Amino acid sequence: MEDDREKILASIRRGIRGSDRISADRSSKSPLFARIGNDFKSRFAKFSSELSALGGEAFVAQTEADASELILARIEPNTSLFIYDDIRTNYGAFTSLLTESRQARFGIEFGPGYDKREVAIFDSAVSGCLACVAETGSIVMKTDMRLPAALAARLFILAKESQMLPTLDELFTDRFSNFEGSNLFLVTGPSRTADIEKELVTGVHGPKEIIVIFLQH
Amino acid sequence: MELSSRNFHDLYKTEIRNTQLRSNLSKATLQAVDKRSRSFEEVDFVFLRDEAKKIKQESISLLNDLLSQFEDKARQNNCTLFYAQTPEKANAYILDVAQKHGVKTIVKSKSMVTEEIGLVPFLTRYGIEAVETDLGEYIVQLAGETPSHITTPAIHKSRREISELFHEKIGTVLNDDPSFLTAEARRVLREKFLSADMGISGANFLIAETGDVVVVENEGNARLSTSAVKVHVVVTGIEKVIPRFSDLRIFMRLLARSSTGQKLTSYVSLLRGPRTRGEKDGPEEVHVILLDNGRSGLLGTEHQEVLHCIRCGACLNVCPVYRNIGGHAYGSVYPGPIGSLVTPLYFGEQNAPDLPFASSLCGNCTEVCPVGIEIHHQLLAMRHEIKSARKDGLEKFIFRNYRKTMLRPGRYRIMGKVARSISRTPILKNLLKGWTAYRELPQFPSRSFREIYKSGQTR
Repeated sequence: MEDDREKILASIRRGIRGSDRISADRSSKSPLFARIGNDFKSRFAKFSSELSALGGEAFVAQTEADASELILARIEPNTSLFIYDDIRTNYGAFTSLLTESRQARFGIEFGPGYDKREVAIFDSAVSGCLACVAETGSIVMKTDMRLPAALAARLFILAKESQMLPTLDELFTDRFSNFEGSNLFLVTGPSRTADIEKELVTGVHGPKEIIVIFLQH
Repeated sequence: MELSSRNFHDLYKTEIRNTQLRSNLSKATLQAVDKRSRSFEEVDFVFLRDEAKKIKQESISLLNDLLSQFEDKARQNNCTLFYAQTPEKANAYILDVAQKHGVKTIVKSKSMVTEEIGLVPFLTRYGIEAVETDLGEYIVQLAGETPSHITTPAIHKSRREISELFHEKIGTVLNDDPSFLTAEARRVLREKFLSADMGISGANFLIAETGDVVVVENEGNARLSTSAVKVHVVVTGIEKVIPRFSDLRIFMRLLARSSTGQKLTSYVSLLRGPRTRGEKDGPEEVHVILLDNGRSGLLGTEHQEVLHCIRCGACLNVCPVYRNIGGHAYGSVYPGPIGSLVTPLYFGEQNAPDLPFASSLCGNCTEVCPVGIEIHHQLLAMRHEIKSARKDGLEKFIFRNYRKTMLRPGRYRIMGKVARSISRTPILKNLLKGWTAYRELPQFPSRSFREIYKSGQTR
């Protein structure tokens, strides 16, 4: 089907002809947000207070064993947990501790183009992230499997202290605009709605619980 | 699409008498206004608004270049682009894509542009089920209605009404707890997500620099509509393109605060085309439809800045007219102050001649607009255009004579006498019956100030 590209662009050109080309000078680096301390402790305090206000939780774990304990304490026996590949790669000890436990049944390997119904059975998912944003309590994710984290009722995120960004100003920069792959998601608290009489309900289509664990390395 | 905005006078009279509606609206909008103001405590609204306005002015002044840049980037990211001048063309393209893939069920996330082009009823006519997956949209779709608010589509419905609706349409037990109703909707919609092959979404922003489609939402339904499908179709207006990735630091701080009083929505999806090598899910095809439908015609006119709108809905919540009559009274997919501009501009003044008059011009809308659109000034300018185009002989006669009277003292005195004498008869009251139906006509004094002064009887 032939589109209307030329007609629309010509109409735009006619409309803006003679008008000034406005350039918003973005070189001004005036801060858009009150400064958050440079140390991890202040950033974590902000991140944690923002996430808790939305119904999520944030922790700092000294070791991978502590992190796995935090997770195992939050999942019911015989539920299923999906472990993302980046966790297997980056947190070996953590992954072994989780898979040794009897509490959860663990993720199966998926090939490309898997059946989405196979993923919908997972109650929880654990994934790494690209960054966290203290200003808003957000997690930045880029994954090769979008669905487990989007469908599970409970989402665990492992992060490193160095991944904590103070504000959105540090996120929306060239460092992150050049991401590889098809997606970048900002997740800020549980999935929620206030469509019925403005009453807040969490866990609509995505996770009802978000637990972020920072590992001290 | 069907517009009933020509019947505004009949529609608002019905809606304003609906006390349940007014109570639902008042509760919801007041809460939204309060949440919005609290959410701006940490950031400087005026500074962000001015920055956003500059970026939008830049985007519109460079629209031709930015669209071409977006197009190049999106193609590099393996998206398919389609420009549609009219709703018919956009709908036909989407139908074509759906039919090529043998699609029976489509999951759809919230998009005002799809409402504008009447996409769902169009697809239904061809036997394709397009399910709204945003909770508010799902509710209005079940009810066979249209959204009554840009960001809170079911704002006009109470929990009891929704409970009865779910009971009747999807067989749930009668229970008006919002958590229960939400869980029921999730159950039904989860199955739709798992069976659908195609997803349709709008776009909050298109980034020229990277070719990204940015979708902002809270429920996770847009994330699933764009991820759990083989084909993802984005339908959006040409004015949604912004120059840079870094511009999001401004818009992300403004949009959620303005629409729902949150610092950020639960999900911001930056979508850069179909799944890439090594990715195990995500759509195999992404189509981006860029709709004009009257937008390019606004360029170079005094209404150009209406194209800056980011559809946050803040102007609806603060509008004294919207709060009393609700969204359906406007008879358009775009209600409230911004809708009173967009509707006549996109669909023609003849289709919505009264909407620019559905405002008290109090300026609340302008004050909260996150991109600095002078909404009430725009409304006034539209009124002027509509009135100038109309051949309203009586009104012109009255104003011409009013001018002459005010300029000539002799004539002023005569007219004053005439007015004082007919004010004691029913003639004036009848003449002004539209005005006096709800108001008392002030009593005219028997003598003019000048007469009283001359007679010396000042007390």
